[in-house]
Amino acid sequence: MAEYETVIGLETHIQLNTLTKIFCACKADSWEDEPNTNICPVCAGLPGVLPVFNAMVAEKAVLLAEAMHAEVLPVSYFDRKNYFYADLPKGYQISQFDRPLAVGGYLDVPIPAAVDAQGRGYVRHVRIHNLHIEEDAGKTKNAGSRRMVDFNRCGVPLIEMVTEPDLRTADEAAQYLIRLRQLLRWIGVSEADMERGNLRCDGNVSIRPIGSKDLFTKTEIKNVNSIDSLREAIRKEIDRQIRTVEEGGRVEAWTLEWDEDAGVLRKMRSKETEADYRYFREPDLLPLEISAEWKQQILADFPERPLDRRQRFMEVYGLPEYDADILTQERGLSDYFERAVKAYGGDPKKVSNWLMNDVLRMINDQNLSPAQMKLTPEYLAELILLVDAGTINLTTGKTLLQQVQDSGKKPARLVEEQGLAQVSDQDAIRAVCQNVIDANPAEVEAYHSGKDTLLGWFVGQVMRETRGKADAKTAGSILKELL
Amino acid sequence: MPERTEEITPEVFNHLVELAALALNEKEAEYLRSELNKQLSAVHELEAIELDENIPPASHGVPYPADHKPTLRADVWRPFHQTADITAQAPQFEDGYLIVPEIPHTTLE
Amino acid sequence: MHLCDLSVLELSRMLRAGEVSALEITESCLRRIEVVDGIPGRLDHVESEQDNTRVHAFITVTPDSARKQASEIDLKLAAGEDVGPLAGIPFSVKDVFCVENTPSTAASRILANFTSPYTAATVQRMLAAGAVMVGKVNLDEFTFGSSNESSAFQPSPRNPWNTAHVPGGSSGGSAASVAAGEAHLSLGTDTAGSIRQPAAFCGVVGMKPTYGRVSRYGLIAFGSSLDCPGPVARSAADAALMMNAIAGEDSKDATTARVLVPDYTQSLDRDLRGMRIGLSPDFLQITYPDPDSGDYSQQPVPEEMQRAVMEAAEIYRDLGAEIIENVPMPNTKYGIPAYFVISRVEAASNLHRFDGVKYGYRTKNPVRDLKELYQRSRGEGFGLQPKLRILMGMYVSAAQYSEQYYQRALRVRTLIRHDYDQAFDPNGKYRLNALLTPTTPTTAFPVKDVFGDSVMMQYADQLTVTANHAGTPGISFPSGFDPVGLPIGIQLLGADFSEDLLLQLTHAYEQATADAEWRKRRPPLLEEV
Repeated sequence: MAEYETVIGLETHIQLNTLTKIFCACKADSWEDEPNTNICPVCAGLPGVLPVFNAMVAEKAVLLAEAMHAEVLPVSYFDRKNYFYADLPKGYQISQFDRPLAVGGYLDVPIPAAVDAQGRGYVRHVRIHNLHIEEDAGKTKNAGSRRMVDFNRCGVPLIEMVTEPDLRTADEAAQYLIRLRQLLRWIGVSEADMERGNLRCDGNVSIRPIGSKDLFTKTEIKNVNSIDSLREAIRKEIDRQIRTVEEGGRVEAWTLEWDEDAGVLRKMRSKETEADYRYFREPDLLPLEISAEWKQQILADFPERPLDRRQRFMEVYGLPEYDADILTQERGLSDYFERAVKAYGGDPKKVSNWLMNDVLRMINDQNLSPAQMKLTPEYLAELILLVDAGTINLTTGKTLLQQVQDSGKKPARLVEEQGLAQVSDQDAIRAVCQNVIDANPAEVEAYHSGKDTLLGWFVGQVMRETRGKADAKTAGSILKELL
Repeated sequence: MPERTEEITPEVFNHLVELAALALNEKEAEYLRSELNKQLSAVHELEAIELDENIPPASHGVPYPADHKPTLRADVWRPFHQTADITAQAPQFEDGYLIVPEIPHTTLE
Repeated sequence: MHLCDLSVLELSRMLRAGEVSALEITESCLRRIEVVDGIPGRLDHVESEQDNTRVHAFITVTPDSARKQASEIDLKLAAGEDVGPLAGIPFSVKDVFCVENTPSTAASRILANFTSPYTAATVQRMLAAGAVMVGKVNLDEFTFGSSNESSAFQPSPRNPWNTAHVPGGSSGGSAASVAAGEAHLSLGTDTAGSIRQPAAFCGVVGMKPTYGRVSRYGLIAFGSSLDCPGPVARSAADAALMMNAIAGEDSKDATTARVLVPDYTQSLDRDLRGMRIGLSPDFLQITYPDPDSGDYSQQPVPEEMQRAVMEAAEIYRDLGAEIIENVPMPNTKYGIPAYFVISRVEAASNLHRFDGVKYGYRTKNPVRDLKELYQRSRGEGFGLQPKLRILMGMYVSAAQYSEQYYQRALRVRTLIRHDYDQAFDPNGKYRLNALLTPTTPTTAFPVKDVFGDSVMMQYADQLTVTANHAGTPGISFPSGFDPVGLPIGIQLLGADFSEDLLLQLTHAYEQATADAEWRKRRPPLLEEV
């Protein structure tokens, strides 16, 4: 491994979460449907049908282009990619060839220390070649010597995004996908679930001597259905290539299919015998024009990108990387956090602690989205403020979390209703402390003879007497004084 | 012009037939190959035409100014109800799937 | 006169006046079909001498549904309900349009068993206007041809004026059925002249609308950037009524233009004074490359065609139009080679979907794998003409040739369009409203005469094809007969969306020649009716 450097490029196909397919009004999501029921003459490729483009596809594509810092071309064209396959009813796929929706772009992928050979962590700048729109094909499955074909998925809108060969390790590839998945969900263009096929990835892998700037023969890895599988497949392929070269052989341009069950790669077909796709402009569609006005409209509410926000949370809020990662994992939670911080007005780290521990657990247990919580960010902030002010103690505060969620009532109101306010009146506490001391002479004796730890016990007794409402600190100092 | 008549050699022809997924008998193949070569002489006329750099390709003859362009489709679901009529047209349809023979594979590693 | 020979206008009046029922009109056409059509086109027909004695326009006659549709119209009329402008009018449909529950074959074995689950937009519009579909008519296989002879469904249609001659193509069945009185209107398609040429051959009116004027949804595609559905009728007024029904934007066809559809019948009688009609020397000859030298030769269009054009020019002049001669359309001669390339590329791709998997023909022979299934199904299902176009399409769009052939052809198209822009530019030198030309260089030739010689067949479309490249509209209408009694058609070409002008000019010509001797002729075949 010391002599060779790995070069990896990724080709991703992203299923957009529009309501309908790209060229007809069938549903885009047919995961639950019986085969060949979510079809119409257009997506089934009947004679005489014509494609009609779904405007929402362009909108989602522009959002993604913006998220990837890519340049949206004001005019792009659809082209036909012609070839024969059972899952391609028209015998051609409508795609974009030489003038795609967007060009360029990048993603700065943070590589955590845990997967860095140097142990430090770094950022890998991954450039994007282009972003283009195309239609999905149907599904086929093997049944002995026959293939069963289902057209439900034909015509689902896809964005194909190809990276430059900028990745250098299998882990980097995995991190890229993790960040891409996060981004896609964040901006709301795709569910990006690899197991459900709404995010698919093929990898191109080659090796070269360290220090070389050339690109050597690459192999293509297909059929990986999870990020872990991709990582493993790439690792295995790198090993194989290195072995091959060290044994005096040459790497050939194979296409390799990943077998999930066996955990191995199998050779599919040589790249040399690829069909000539005879790309030409799709005559049934007009050029796609994204006017400046339309683009502005689409991007009007474009959110802060998750990695940018993560950076801001660390720099501006002073949160550690661990916190920033969790709090920018998912947009809903992240927005919740920001609102809470703004409502709180104090140290964001405090809000982070409350959120990451208790509140996040509640959200997960109850299977809600942050936006659905009756414990709103404002209520959370209020709770923390109440504890800060000493009105209630920390334990009470934590208990109230669930109560606010269940009742939907303001924390302050609950405190009032249940009389939960801490007893911090010195005289009241002093009286209780005196009672406790009077009632427990044996323990007083023990304390005086040196058992200092009994102070905690006395504090506990005071808390019991006051049903947890006494301010423990005050009680402690008064007890000390009295004893 | 001898070389022109053989522009589509049997080799080139077979490649086209492969691309087109057509099984032809010998008689058909010869007829088609010779017709193609004949027709190519008409196609070659295009080469002699002087084309200024500024002349763009036209996918359609009619222009589509902004006020003629149809609006793009809205993202509204309209199911097609007679899906059974579509699948009824398939030569082989079982248990909800269209059936085709297996696809040629190459060797396994 | 039989009901099936009357004009749409006249029949509509009679129907609404209660003088005739929709069912009677339909029965009249169905009876005519029975008498003159002979056997419909079918697969594996064995040639016989009989073939040359009948019209054979149809592949599928639909008498039951036609009678049902007609009866419904009659019921509605009786109930005082609104019935639509084409109520009760029988029409035939070129079998390249999908019609629900009806065989929709494109005249090919590969779709012989295909029953469409949906109906083409244009057919739907006709039905919505109250028209009655009497059947699907024959065409060249997948519309590849100019004589209708390449159909897999034989006998192919014959010309009603002489049943040993072709009706033209590819909308041969459309033109023949209308000329023979089997239907009043027909829905055809024009990709290089395939409505206009058979209309000229059969002595009827045939219009190619502007590209994008009429929806292509449901039209089994050949040349997607060239195909135009359009009307075949016996007069401009009838064609105008049909255009009213079928023209207009369609949400299922993204290439239809968002342009208002006028009432084409309203402008028919407009005054011609001040209109500028052009004549072009480039349309009075056929320019083609000599197969040996490669140099261009020119053959003038036959005398009787030229005379028909000149006489028409005179008529227009008398009506107050200005005739502008010598309008150059210099890129006309590139129409055919550009068409060879563009249409083949699109056709080859459009025919990819016929693979024996989803519908249509699948080989009965045993196959090893999917690839062999494709090869055998397509090899056995397609006729020679589709195969020829597919292979040519593959060649000129192959990666290494695409720039040289296909991209170049698309640029030549720009040049051709430029000719039309210049001729019709309202601020240009010629400022034409229309261009008057012959439609075809020959009249209907005998069956089997030209079929084998494909290049010659192709050059015949030279006068019509440039309008397909440019996307502009054109109309062919009858203007007499040749010395052996075959119809002669002349053509008007116009600017984008000027169908109303073309119909108006055609109507004016019809009015001016209403009493001409030749207008009294009927196809000999109909003498026995």
